[in-house]
Amino acid sequence: MAIKRGVSLYSYQQEQFFGQMSWKDQIREVRENLHTDGIEIIDEAVIRDYPFPSEEFCFDFRNTMARYNMNAVTMDVYLDVHQFRDHVMTHAEAAERLKNDIRLAAKLGFKNVRPLCLVPIDVIEAALPVAEECNVRMGKEIHAPLPIFKGDKPQPTTGMAAALDFRMTEQILELADRTGSKHVGIVPDFGIFQYKPSSVAIAYTKRHTNTPEAVDFILKNSANYGPDEIHQIVREKYPNHDLPLNAVDRMALHEMSANPEDLRKIIPYIVSMHGKFYEMTEIAGKPGQYEDACIDYETPMRILKEEGFDGYINSEYEGQRDQQDMGYENLPDSREQVRRHHEMLARLS
Amino acid sequence: MFDQYLIRKDSLQNVTEDGKVTGFKFAVRIADYRGCFLSLHNGYYINVDGTEYPRNLQRFEINGKAPRSFEEIKTACWEHWNYDDEGWVYVTKEGGLSKGMHKIGLQQSILAQYGYMPWDEEWVKNPPVPGSGAGAGKTETICQFDLELQEC
Repeated sequence: MAIKRGVSLYSYQQEQFFGQMSWKDQIREVRENLHTDGIEIIDEAVIRDYPFPSEEFCFDFRNTMARYNMNAVTMDVYLDVHQFRDHVMTHAEAAERLKNDIRLAAKLGFKNVRPLCLVPIDVIEAALPVAEECNVRMGKEIHAPLPIFKGDKPQPTTGMAAALDFRMTEQILELADRTGSKHVGIVPDFGIFQYKPSSVAIAYTKRHTNTPEAVDFILKNSANYGPDEIHQIVREKYPNHDLPLNAVDRMALHEMSANPEDLRKIIPYIVSMHGKFYEMTEIAGKPGQYEDACIDYETPMRILKEEGFDGYINSEYEGQRDQQDMGYENLPDSREQVRRHHEMLARLS
Repeated sequence: MFDQYLIRKDSLQNVTEDGKVTGFKFAVRIADYRGCFLSLHNGYYINVDGTEYPRNLQRFEINGKAPRSFEEIKTACWEHWNYDDEGWVYVTKEGGLSKGMHKIGLQQSILAQYGYMPWDEEWVKNPPVPGSGAGAGKTETICQFDLELQEC
């Protein structure tokens, strides 16, 4: 058994936006040009009239997957707590949405759903009986800036990161062990092994600020300051800068949020993985071989192989959004980016 | 994301109702990689040639229904704006826009989230005013467009 390759159709969002690839074209691309069978979808991007698709759509989806002999690996599901606008969705309501998403995933043939890392653990537990009944595994995402295990990392107190519980993986493992259920686990995202900002993100940020030298300062010095300190020092040094908070955070990234060694302890709980990447470039001196220069794939994949992981890594291309402000002729080609990513996945598997 | 493509370039036109020009409209796409429950759509920051047109002058047309105010859109909590679909933003302006080129600044507000956030209760009471960046979804900047008014 070996690591399996798949694609999250998230990767082709740009081509879908411009009407260049339908979801059927995307599935065919994975079969015919990547020569593999793993498919992951974003529910709301693919399922026409989510959450009430027609019978025709559901059959068409299963039929298309069958036509190309594909495997419906994971369906990514969401939690919009402002849906009702007159009140914040309660946890019980959030569980209802998740249960409905699980039933929908089963209907489309998916083996797993991916709830987001911000979904409270009691919502996951409330949906567990439905996951069991439908035989769909729930894999909660470990997304940057989360670690796998918190260890002695401090829980952030400001920004988006403050809303993320750094003990998330422990909570999931505890739930799985306490209930003995195989239907709850995790979806680690390779973004947790990103150790510097991507070149496309740096270029985007510089194009959209009055103080590009502040970006250079952050890139050079972020390792010397804590996450709160960097905001303060940038404000002191460049009082007129207009960088949004999350742009400063994005530029200040200088270490992986997770330790790849921690993967060894969670292998049986991994439902599938997100192969996040931003830009695949040719490795110097190795024609035809590609890497993402800001994410470590080699170390985690070596560990996954050593531990006998035989699940799917599904490509999740995200660099396109930092290149959509420069005109049509400068848009990247997602198909080519994903093909390069699969060169790397196949080589490291 | 999709900064330059949120408004379709050849879509700006005046709106005529009962023989009178009552405003203008343009076609938009969602600034996200997924669709959204329609109720989450919270309006736009719109600036045309230096004049701002606040949310109470805006209506939104989607899913084959007549243009709706954002107060009405707010109640569409089981209807979905599909990722693939174009919507039309209607702006009330007596006499509409003049012929020729116009500079439009746009920020779309979608209250999509990935879970619970500290500002949730506040957003129920006081939803963010589009333009501040809060609730701006995946494209936080105000995107700029040079558009020519099309003949209807």
